[in-house]
Amino acid sequence: MEFLQTMLEVIKRTAPGFLEATVLTLQVTAVALVLGTLLGLVFALMKISKSKILQTIANIYITIIRGTPLIVQIMFLYFGITAVIILDAFWAGAIALGIHNGAYIAEIFRGAIQSIDKGQREASMALGMTRGQSMKRIIFPQALKRSIPPLGNQFIITLKDSSLVYIISVSELFAVANRDAAQSYQPFETYLVVGLYYLVLVMIFTAILRWYEGRLNVDK
Amino acid sequence: MLKATNLHKSFGKLEVLKGIDLEVQPSEVVVLVGVSGSGKSTLLRCFNFLERINQGSIEIDGQVIDAKKQKLSQVRAEVGMVFQHFNLFPHKTVLENVIEAPIVVKKENKETAIAKGKALLEKVGLADKADVYPSKLSGGQKQRVAIARALAMEPKALLFDEPTSALDPELVGEVLAVMKQLAEEGMTMVVVTHEMKFAREVADRIIMLDEGVIIENTDPKTFFENPSNERTRQFISLVE
Ligand SMILES: Nc1ncnc2c1ncn2[C@@H]1O[C@H](COP(=O)(O)OP(=O)(O)OP(=O)(O)O)[C@@H](O)[C@H]1O
Ligand SMILES: [Mg+2]
Repeated sequence: MEFLQTMLEVIKRTAPGFLEATVLTLQVTAVALVLGTLLGLVFALMKISKSKILQTIANIYITIIRGTPLIVQIMFLYFGITAVIILDAFWAGAIALGIHNGAYIAEIFRGAIQSIDKGQREASMALGMTRGQSMKRIIFPQALKRSIPPLGNQFIITLKDSSLVYIISVSELFAVANRDAAQSYQPFETYLVVGLYYLVLVMIFTAILRWYEGRLNVDK
Repeated sequence: MLKATNLHKSFGKLEVLKGIDLEVQPSEVVVLVGVSGSGKSTLLRCFNFLERINQGSIEIDGQVIDAKKQKLSQVRAEVGMVFQHFNLFPHKTVLENVIEAPIVVKKENKETAIAKGKALLEKVGLADKADVYPSKLSGGQKQRVAIARALAMEPKALLFDEPTSALDPELVGEVLAVMKQLAEEGMTMVVVTHEMKFAREVADRIIMLDEGVIIENTDPKTFFENPSNERTRQFISLVE
């Protein structure tokens, strides 16, 4: 009972700061997802293109991103970019997270595109479509639908991974919780509360995703 | 209308077509037979450039097609193809399947395409299925949609690769009936099929392919009653 009492107090005390930070977390995540999806699309198309050069570029990108820790990528990009242009920590963090996601999303798109029966490409080509038309009108719409469950998964990972930009002092949810934990001498309770914040965010996100997947299936 | 001259096609070391000479006249119906692996599908696919040929030439409507200089998509638009497994676009309705290529490839305006598409569906007996998704159709219905889809491009010739092989026996007839009607209307057709009754009744000419060469090229009556090649005789006794 005493514990619940304390928890309620901690939740109340941290609420204003945490809610504000949640907005920032969602913003970092949103930027990262938009950028990651665009990059993922471009690199997936490069990987399945006929050009060896494009394939190699895509492979190098994916290998480097998947082979190094996200936190290193964030630091590298922050100090790398800010040495050249003036960019605040929010954008550096969001872009790093986006580039990171691009590699994983590229693999999701590539897998989905390649899973589409090759009869679809042949039928569209036999009707006179170019490779590009066939991709845009026939292959990609089907691949996108198949990508939605793994993309949703990746989006959830991104939401949680966004906490790592605390390392370059972006005042998102985890950074604020970290500060609070140190100042309040209640680290256990504070981290428990911030964990709950992420959990709720993920659950909301999952629910939206389920609803969307359901709607897609109803169409057919 | 279609003409192959000394056509050679290999997959790696495997030579599948070994010098095919074949001419199909306008409005002619040619049935292509042969045992599995003899190269029937490959030959059809060469005619609309889904496969690249290694040697020889292909003419469409009197024009030699140069795969290096011409846009193959434009050439393919003129020769329709119907596949064994239909290959309908599952994310589009029946009508959308039919009007897709006319709109995207021929830049037809949507109203025109829809009007023509509906007329084609009427023709293959599926006017009531226009707004249904392919997953809701039977195999025979799917194949009739695929035929309507190919016809929507107003092709100069139609290629059929075992159009009824994936169908339940009771659904074969409805597809063959549509094909027979097309033949009567003067469509130039090359048909790979094991339906010997269709070959006998509809074909102007039957061609037997064996290990990548044409070993029989004659009218149906001669083909069945007096074939020149021993392998053809064996084949006929197998399928009949
Ligand atoms: N893309 C390919 N790559 C390699 N080999 C191929 C390819 N397509 C066909 N082949 C081979 O070419 C030969 C002829 O194949 P094809 O599909 O033309 O035969 P078919 O007469 O249509 O046979 P079926 O009656 O089984 O459909 C076969 O030995 C086949 O394995
Ligand atoms: Mg075949």
